[in-house]
Amino acid sequence: MIKDLLSPYKNFLSDHTELRAQVNASRAVALIGGNLVNNLRTEQSGVSARVYKNGVYGFASGTEYSEDSIKNIIKAAGENAIFLASRAGTGKSLPVISSGEKVMNGEIRDCEQKLYIDFAKEVDKYIEKKYPKLVSRKVIVRCDSMEKLLRVNDGYDSYSLVPRSYVIVIFTAEANDGTNVELYKVFGGYGFFADVFSTPDKLFAGVDELYENIIKKAEGVYAEAGYRDVVMHPNLAGILAHEAVGHTVEADMVLSGSVAAHNLNKQIASPLVTMIDFAHTQPNGSPVPLPVFVDDEGTPAEDAILIKDGVLTGYMNNRESAEHFGVKPQGNARAYAFSDEPLIRMRNTAILPGTSSIEDMIASIDDGYFLTETNNGQADTTGEFMFGVGMGYEIKKGKLGRAIRDTTISGVAFDMLKTVDMLSNDMVWTSSGMCGKKQPMPVGMGGPAIKCKITIGGR
Amino acid sequence: MKNNYEIAQYAIEALKKAGADHAQCIVYKGKSDELNVDGGKFSLMRSTFDTSISMKAIKDSKKGVVAINQVDKAAIDKAAADCIAAAESSVADEAEQIAPFTEKAEYKTGIFKPDRDKLFDRIEEFLEQTAQEFPRVMLEQLTSSFKHSNELYMNSNGTAISHECGSYSFYTMFSAHEGEKTSSFNGYYCVTDNLEKPFMDLGVQRMLLEDCEKQLETVSPEEKFVGKVIYSPDCFCDLLNTAIRNFISTSVLIDGTSPWKDSLNTKVACETLNVRSVPIDERAVAAERFTNDGYPVENMDIIKDGVLKTFILSQYGANKTGFPRSLNSGRNLEVLPGDIPLEEMIKGIDKGLIVNRFSGGEPSINGDFSGVAKNSFIIENGKIGSAVSETMISGNIIDMLNNIVAISKEQVTDGTTFMPWVEFDGVTVSGK
Repeated sequence: MIKDLLSPYKNFLSDHTELRAQVNASRAVALIGGNLVNNLRTEQSGVSARVYKNGVYGFASGTEYSEDSIKNIIKAAGENAIFLASRAGTGKSLPVISSGEKVMNGEIRDCEQKLYIDFAKEVDKYIEKKYPKLVSRKVIVRCDSMEKLLRVNDGYDSYSLVPRSYVIVIFTAEANDGTNVELYKVFGGYGFFADVFSTPDKLFAGVDELYENIIKKAEGVYAEAGYRDVVMHPNLAGILAHEAVGHTVEADMVLSGSVAAHNLNKQIASPLVTMIDFAHTQPNGSPVPLPVFVDDEGTPAEDAILIKDGVLTGYMNNRESAEHFGVKPQGNARAYAFSDEPLIRMRNTAILPGTSSIEDMIASIDDGYFLTETNNGQADTTGEFMFGVGMGYEIKKGKLGRAIRDTTISGVAFDMLKTVDMLSNDMVWTSSGMCGKKQPMPVGMGGPAIKCKITIGGR
Repeated sequence: MKNNYEIAQYAIEALKKAGADHAQCIVYKGKSDELNVDGGKFSLMRSTFDTSISMKAIKDSKKGVVAINQVDKAAIDKAAADCIAAAESSVADEAEQIAPFTEKAEYKTGIFKPDRDKLFDRIEEFLEQTAQEFPRVMLEQLTSSFKHSNELYMNSNGTAISHECGSYSFYTMFSAHEGEKTSSFNGYYCVTDNLEKPFMDLGVQRMLLEDCEKQLETVSPEEKFVGKVIYSPDCFCDLLNTAIRNFISTSVLIDGTSPWKDSLNTKVACETLNVRSVPIDERAVAAERFTNDGYPVENMDIIKDGVLKTFILSQYGANKTGFPRSLNSGRNLEVLPGDIPLEEMIKGIDKGLIVNRFSGGEPSINGDFSGVAKNSFIIENGKIGSAVSETMISGNIIDMLNNIVAISKEQVTDGTTFMPWVEFDGVTVSGK
């Protein structure tokens, strides 16, 4: 646990100030065809201060965590705030919030590199023996953790520790046209490696499933480009929630003129759609993939209800934007590294499930696609979004047909969401991704299978 | 330990003492001052003081790497022990090695004394110019910084190469608005070693803002067609980076999935295409001076007259595949200009698209891609027409490089790369 050298300075702070000591650790192992091409351990730690003055912020950070260094960092952040306030101050102030302290339970459970390497080698050996016809195989172990100690002079102090551990298996197979196709599967989630993974053989069923899928993809066809009926598997719902809607309702994007700026309290989706950015706990009481209890401005985190029954009900805010919109801040200001300032970020963004079965959803389509795996995505101020699709099937007369090759889907969020006419009764959460917005940030996302109309790219 | 040499020497000794047969490290120290504008208003001034050390050990042909940002002796000793433990658990691989001895070299590039007030003035001037010239444009985000860094590579063969560099960077993200109408966002990034020119006049910044305002009214093509498209310099640079990653980088050559694995010294693109990587060029700001595996960089041809001249391989990748190591990391890409002005290229197209930004799914390893054409315009009867939205393009990167119709006479730089506009045939364009 990070030693508390920060508290003694709290009483000397006048303007709103955040002091944060942080350690980001990562462990990485990568085997390509049995060759260990990556074998890396990193630790990035340091301390930062951010000071609010006359409507602008000053920030400073350094890698040394000592009493002298903390004093220097506070001084440098204060000087930056004074310089900027003198040339561009706005006179604005931040909302007053209650004060308190939250400490997340948990301890650092690091493993020796040997454990990751041996685990990856076992998985790799299984693949090499069972599937010799693959063009290539990659087994990647990736673990990261973020530990933060936060002290603020108005708001909540906190300690948090958020670890994630994943094993990623990537296959390449020869396709029916002589070129190669690729497909991957991610195992794992919240927790240190030993909490998430027991023995390598527990992954073998998933590896077999990945092989079955890449063989279907290798025999697959190109999607027919156009505006089509689709069912998105729950694997895609999270990225839809995140990319299509989430980014447009971040308050900084709204203030910059995103399409959501003109749609508050308007019907922007089918009444079936409710979407929430969860802070730490699901409605059924179980934790979300990446819990946030206090954000990096010292605001206690609570759920942000973004869409309720198809109506846009709110944005995600930091303290400054909450003051602007006259709402309560809900803890969306998050920083990635000790040297980063908090930005408005999503936490665990999900579309809530409906009542249909995936089978009925597929059966209701005469000619369309069932899309099952995704990779990257991007949003736009206009609400136009896209994301990559790595696996899917044709739907012909209510039945699944041939697999399809890589493609991209796109749409305009608030148009596309109005076409949603079925949601499945189950949901899937993912947490292995990194959202990019000046800084990277681990985010959780989830949702059910979704039936809608969308533009699909072909060849 | 304050001095990079002192830190590096201590780290190499610590790795050797812990049992390394061969050792290398890269020590980095940097300071950055950054000004931020959000929603058109100054929001934050940020100063960061960074230190880091990356240590690599090879023991019995097995590799371990540890990167930390604390550089006191106790932290380095612990990192050395972790590094050796990681190496001991690793897989033996004869391809692992460190760079041979080269003469000590100390490079200095860019400027080391920033003018903070001038930087502020240039940003303020940019905000004023944007408001006056492009009243419908909202600067969603602007980040400008001065960064001064000192980096040192050292290894147990006695090689020591250092690079001190200083540069300004300028990044904008913007969109246009009128009533409830919103354009697609676009962005621009460049680096420079001086503040002589207004930011508005750097690279294609002004052109992108002009185009942004034209994106408030858009159409989506009603029919699908296969035709000619012009890629902007930024877009073509993205396409080349994808080609490098998927066809000629270390990982796809080691695992044998590259479609160009047998194509060295053969024709992979139209003869008019010449791609180089030129870190040693006075136009390249803050460009690399040594590779991560400890070799001083040199300029290189990647594609010459359509023929593939090098793979982008580290020493490890070279040892693994039997092909030569590349002379640099391939970051400072230059595409040599052609002989036709952009305006003439546009005049020659009956029906097509000019693509200023591409937002697409990760392209397949065989080069297939599809995605949305952003900030793009229809070309009709030799003239730029309506802006488009909800327009997808798809094709194959290998085919495109062989279907280059023309390369523009104009070449633009962002301080890192040097790119013209490029016209291709055979790209599929489809509307909603």
